[in-house]
Amino acid sequence: MNKLLAIIKREYLQRVRSRMFVVWTILGPLMLVFFSVVPALVFGIKAGEPTRIAVVDETGKMYERVRASMMDESIVDKGAEESSENSPIRNLNSTPDDRVRQASRAMSGSYRVESFNLNGRSTEDAARELSGRVRSNQLDGYLIIPRDVLTTSQISYHGRNTGDVVTMDQIRSRVEKAIRDQIIAEANVPAKVFADIRRPVHMEPQRITETGSERDTGAGFVLVLVIGFLIYLMLVTYGQVILSAVVEEKETRIAELLFSSVRSFTLMMGKLIGVSLVALTQYSIWAVVFILFALYGVGMLAASGIPVELPQIPPSLVIYFIIFFLLGYFIYATIYALVGAMVTTAQEGGQVALPVIFLLMIGFYLSFAVMRSPNSSFAFWASMVPFWSPITMMVRIVTQQPPFWEIALSIAIGLVTILLLLWLAARVYRIGMLMYGKRASIPEVIRWVRQS
Amino acid sequence: MMNDAPTLKLDRVTKRYDEFTAVNELSLSVRSGRIYGLLGPNGAGKTTTIRMMVNITVPDEGRVELFGRAMSSEMQNRIGYLPEERGLYKKMRIGEQLRFFGALKGLTGRKAEEVMDSWLERVKLSEWKNRKADELSKGMQQKIQFIVTVMHNPDLLILDEPFSGLDPKNADLLEEIVLELKAAGKTIIFSTHMMAQAERLCDDLCLINRSRKVLDGSLREIKRSFGRNAVALRVEDGDTSVLEDSRLVAKVVRRSDEMEALLAEGADAQELLRRLVGAGARVTKFELVEPSLHDIFITKVDETDEQASGNHQA
Repeated sequence: MNKLLAIIKREYLQRVRSRMFVVWTILGPLMLVFFSVVPALVFGIKAGEPTRIAVVDETGKMYERVRASMMDESIVDKGAEESSENSPIRNLNSTPDDRVRQASRAMSGSYRVESFNLNGRSTEDAARELSGRVRSNQLDGYLIIPRDVLTTSQISYHGRNTGDVVTMDQIRSRVEKAIRDQIIAEANVPAKVFADIRRPVHMEPQRITETGSERDTGAGFVLVLVIGFLIYLMLVTYGQVILSAVVEEKETRIAELLFSSVRSFTLMMGKLIGVSLVALTQYSIWAVVFILFALYGVGMLAASGIPVELPQIPPSLVIYFIIFFLLGYFIYATIYALVGAMVTTAQEGGQVALPVIFLLMIGFYLSFAVMRSPNSSFAFWASMVPFWSPITMMVRIVTQQPPFWEIALSIAIGLVTILLLLWLAARVYRIGMLMYGKRASIPEVIRWVRQS
Repeated sequence: MMNDAPTLKLDRVTKRYDEFTAVNELSLSVRSGRIYGLLGPNGAGKTTTIRMMVNITVPDEGRVELFGRAMSSEMQNRIGYLPEERGLYKKMRIGEQLRFFGALKGLTGRKAEEVMDSWLERVKLSEWKNRKADELSKGMQQKIQFIVTVMHNPDLLILDEPFSGLDPKNADLLEEIVLELKAAGKTIIFSTHMMAQAERLCDDLCLINRSRKVLDGSLREIKRSFGRNAVALRVEDGDTSVLEDSRLVAKVVRRSDEMEALLAEGADAQELLRRLVGAGARVTKFELVEPSLHDIFITKVDETDEQASGNHQA
């Protein structure tokens, strides 16, 4: 026990005291902000100028509607009225639908629309002239709206950059709306009916639970995504650290000295716990900063008169969150330890460990299937496989809570898996050390494990 | 405690790796308070044997006994092992490393500090206590590794090539410490390729070749059993072709100003002298000596190698 503590202490202190740890603890959140803000900004920049479009209107009555529709930015962003309350907390409560709309708003381009007057000329002549203007870069493209558009819904766009699918779709849908409005107008539909048709539908999900019913803010599902993302993030940042911690004594040739004092299982356990404590220290620091920031932010918003609704997360969910996060992290961390036990250098280990992330990805994909039928036998088995249960079981808990014994079983399977993998890693490490210099092949590892 | 009980005993110990038998039915016993030399060519099975002695690996067959009891991981604290493959944590300060390795052997607190400081003093590295390992020279690191081996005051020390890479001054210092530890009643197992050193330090010996024990016993007995069959010889000039006669001389080792002739089995030293003088050689030194450990090592290893290859052909 004292030996285990000595190993944990060494691993922990050596890493926490290192300059890299301090740098990353400070840099980490900054980078996170950087990577979440910059893409939005980049999307927002629609490379400068508005798109210049000429409209050839054979019908002679569509141009005004098309122009209005193209210039009207509020058409795509139906939720524009909410934009002023756009805080991170608010985002947590927004429905996926909202988020899609926010994303497309970020991408919405602006247009400059002009009418091309046919003046009795044929459409072919007009097209020839407009194509020339596009070539000489006076125009980005032109739309041809044929005479029978109201019955065929066929239009054509001619331009250089037809590969810009975002813009293409935007133009198409805006013209579509103009055509629809025209049809409705020609059918003499009263203005009120017209307004009613255009009004978007808002749906409020009500979740039925054991105690009654509550407004589902979607926070539960966000929690599942967060758990998966946190496990992923921690593995990306600390998986390699665990791997190299395990390889360290092989590279420095201390292994043999250590094994004259401790058992390899104790060593593995100590390394895993030591490095994990480092990771948890770092994440706790980030969490505290985030929470302080969030609370401060909420206070600020509340003070300036904007009501912010904090997500309602029941305490039991928080406990499950912590349990499954730790479970998931340790399952994958022990896989990294096992890889470290198999290889002789950390670089080599990095390559071998690559598929581990894929295993976690599968869990992500399964979670969508589980979400749609959380009580199916498929969902049951998916939430019993230890590599995926931290994500899939969480999905089940937030969607349709399974019986307690299922949750307990899934946790138990996870714990047993961790111990088993650790035992395996210790065994492979000890035997591998006695013949170092080469990487173990999978059949060799199997043989080592069988060896007494 | 029974004094005549061996500190360490191996009883028909066998260890295999897949098809390869690294150690084959090896029995030996190391007496308390003595320096025991474990010798053998590269790949003979020394390291595997030592690993079983310190409980890093477990024998497939046979038994390892330490202080009269079956080997177990609890007993590892009473052993100090300096492996041939050794290193230190590069980025860790010397003091921290020693504290860590001490803790792994159950040495903690103020006691650990005292022991550590006195050992650093003894090997003249006190001022390096707060430096990182990669700032130290290889020789200095080796002395630190030696402290790791001895600081928890073990009853049995196992040193695998402890002097390799040390300059003569430091080698002498380490040798002095080893002898002090022996005087303090510690048992020391010592594995080396440096025969001169083994001859100077060891009380008892075991020679391993091809996974098997070839020879063991006290250094004195072994030397006696080989008899005085070597001749230290200095010939100023004249014909020395007699030395090429394989009926008389098994082997000649030429040194800078003299040579050592190992007599063939049943050959007479007087006969050799007569023939040399007869051939007109000016003999200025002719002394019957005990064979060196070096010669015994080579003779025995060659002998067992020949037997082994003979068996192969049969």
